[in-house]
Amino acid sequence: MTNHKVVGVLALQGGVVEHLSHFKRAVESSPEQYGPFQLEFIEVKTSDQLHRCNALVIPGGESTAISLIAERTGLLAHLYEFVADESKVIWGTCAGLILLAKQVENAKRDQKILGGMDIKVIRNAFGRQLDSFESNLDFSSFIPNLKDFPTIFIRAPIVDQILNENPRLNENLTHPPVPMAKLTDGITVRSENPYSNSSPVEILHRLENGFIVAVKQGNKLGTSFHPELSENFLFHKWFLDTFVLAD
Amino acid sequence: MTSTYNINKNLAQMLKGGVIMDVTNVEEAVIAEKAGAVAVMALEKIPSDMRKSGQVCRMSDPKMIKDIMNAVSIPVMAKVRIGHLIEAQLLESLGIDYIDESEVLTPADRTYHIDKTHYKVPFVCGAKDLGEALRRINEGAAMLRTKGEAGTGDISEAVKHIRQIKGEIDLILANKTDTKFLTDKAIEYRIPVKLLEDLIEKNGKFPVVNFAAGGVATPADAALCMKLGMEGVFVGSGIFRSSNPEKLAKAIVNATTHYDDPAKVLEYSTDLGEMMPGVSVSGLQLQDRLSTRGW
Repeated sequence: MTNHKVVGVLALQGGVVEHLSHFKRAVESSPEQYGPFQLEFIEVKTSDQLHRCNALVIPGGESTAISLIAERTGLLAHLYEFVADESKVIWGTCAGLILLAKQVENAKRDQKILGGMDIKVIRNAFGRQLDSFESNLDFSSFIPNLKDFPTIFIRAPIVDQILNENPRLNENLTHPPVPMAKLTDGITVRSENPYSNSSPVEILHRLENGFIVAVKQGNKLGTSFHPELSENFLFHKWFLDTFVLAD
Repeated sequence: MTSTYNINKNLAQMLKGGVIMDVTNVEEAVIAEKAGAVAVMALEKIPSDMRKSGQVCRMSDPKMIKDIMNAVSIPVMAKVRIGHLIEAQLLESLGIDYIDESEVLTPADRTYHIDKTHYKVPFVCGAKDLGEALRRINEGAAMLRTKGEAGTGDISEAVKHIRQIKGEIDLILANKTDTKFLTDKAIEYRIPVKLLEDLIEKNGKFPVVNFAAGGVATPADAALCMKLGMEGVFVGSGIFRSSNPEKLAKAIVNATTHYDDPAKVLEYSTDLGEMMPGVSVSGLQLQDRLSTRGW
């Protein structure tokens, strides 16, 4: 039954159905390619549902709300374990990228993060809601032929720093000052998950001004933006092909 | 549609499955954020107090809104009077995250709502039937909510609006090939027929999110609205008129996520203290019903 894969979308709060429908459209687009596989896409609200998953998507939403709900409903400990299991695949978009990080700047004190990737993320890095924007980006360096992909940044976070030991990686990480909506009580929150990712961080995409908006570490993927809000499902198809069905 | 509108309706998607809470000061806003609210609505008086006051209710003082914007990291919404385009410009200049063109305040224009396509900031608007919902979408609203009957703690009016809109959508879908029917409906609703065609193409789904509002007072009320297909809830007077706002706020957030799991909603509904006393909608005179405001 190794051809049976369950992909879950964390459904505590946020844009869940868009991810599910993009995955379904991707699978329907290539019946021949996906025919040999039995792919199941489910919403994840409970630990039972989480334990069924081979891969998990943490969607956009409010990172504070998602983490508080996860903690109060007893799911947080299970998410820590899921993140620490390197046979599992995880992708975080926007709020999900915040949740995947080891450190978050401009965070709320009681916000919890899962610590799956050795990155420091700045929350609300582009400012308030009015500073949200849409941009067509060229992802062809890591997704073949995906050149003009419409991406939406909504109160988006960025990756500010790579936290693992390779100092060379941080040399080129200079970017202009971040116009973040600075919180009066914004602090840096560190993950309480003892897990340490065994793979190096790879930068997949930077904006022209140097902001890092897509990163990969082992089988964990983080994006600042929302491929699920574009009409195009090719980003999701790439995730299925290179992460979920990789082995 | 413009790029701004596309961004605005998409950013409202990020609120889905969430609870938006009315707050009147920084302390309440912090309690709401800690409870897991996805946004707060900053206003001077909660609807149940406005209802009692019998006074003209206007946009809140920008200072209190700004203080709340500085105190929390989640989006902040604020209300303007129906049709009051200057109040809307002020809030946009302030950098507010969403404007609620709200029947809870005293209307400024008895014929027209604000042309929301002229703003960069997203608007949320109330609707009690399909015509209102589509007119607001046509005017550029990025998010809808039921009107319900704000400040009562009585969920029946919100349920009525949810059912009404669902029934009218079903009727459109049942007659989707009848061009004359659709043209007549478009005239009745005062909207371009294209909006009905879009609705049919999306199998009855609005292009914007639709939340429940007006009378949500308990975790079970929130779960009921979610079960009836709403994508999230607004809680107004209910939380901070109860005896234990912190606990109730968390319970409503939890129940909104796990609305489909009775054992969990039971747990969240237990030992919450006194709920807001409320007033029954059926005892209100028609002229006292806020949901009749808006055109």
